[in-house]
Amino acid sequence: MRVEYINPFVESAVQILKETVSEDVKRGQLSLRSSIASMLGVVVIVGLAGQVSGRVIIDMDRQTALNIASRMNNEKLTEFDELTCATLTELANMITGKSVTKLHELGFQFDLTPPALLTGEKLQISDSKVETLVVPLELPEGKIEINVGIKEN
Amino acid sequence: MKASSDFPSINAKEADGLKPEGTPYKILIVDDSIFVKKQLSQILQSEQFDIIETAGDGEEAVEKYKEFYPNVDLVTMDITMPKMDGITALEKIMEFDKNAKVIMISALGKQELVKKSLLLGAKNYIVKPLDRKKVLERIVMVLKRT
Ligand SMILES: [Mg+2]
Repeated sequence: MRVEYINPFVESAVQILKETVSEDVKRGQLSLRSSIASMLGVVVIVGLAGQVSGRVIIDMDRQTALNIASRMNNEKLTEFDELTCATLTELANMITGKSVTKLHELGFQFDLTPPALLTGEKLQISDSKVETLVVPLELPEGKIEINVGIKEN
Repeated sequence: MKASSDFPSINAKEADGLKPEGTPYKILIVDDSIFVKKQLSQILQSEQFDIIETAGDGEEAVEKYKEFYPNVDLVTMDITMPKMDGITALEKIMEFDKNAKVIMISALGKQELVKKSLLLGAKNYIVKPLDRKKVLERIVMVLKRT
């Protein structure tokens, strides 16, 4: 996978998080993820299809997810109810929507699937066909990992 | 010396949600995300708009519009929704009432759909993330333009 694909996603995530959650977002080191990976506990998956295929996964632990959803609602949320889930999927929509606009400008054409939210203690993602790059983002609310796996068709 | 209350309050701005005669504008919010519904409701209610109803998909939106007509001043319309999308719902509302005021609420990356909706009669659009200033500006602009 070409590294240039991941940048629009990370830049968009940083911009949207700054606008909707916290001004203080620090970008960590890029790394390559192995084909079977453990997730932090709350993942939002958005699929990409078109000229390229693959997926973007936004991964965070449960408390971070609640902290972020609370910030976005200006209200303390303590459980994974409909509002918390709707808030997190909306966050993923905004991030991926912005990224796709940037990628369209670079000439890549593809569409997004609606976000799916999964939660669980021992979530694992396994995919041997698509290489995945990961960039962690640090916020006062906690750590978020942006996983991008894209393959050209 | 006069108490400040004797002066007309030139600084106290009228709430955006009130018509010149003082009654609130009536808004129908259409979105499948309860987060967005809540966000829009809070922004609009803080300016005294009257949220007459919310709908979670296009079918429901068309139904509610017809039910409340002519007592709806403006509709905020999400684009991606289950059952019937916002573009189709917009089309059906415009067929029913060619003077309907519909504002599209869109995520980035949907420029083509936004363009299409403007051609179909949407009066304006707002790109998410929503913030108070942006939402009120666009809505007031559409309501005041007759
Ligand atoms: Mg929607």
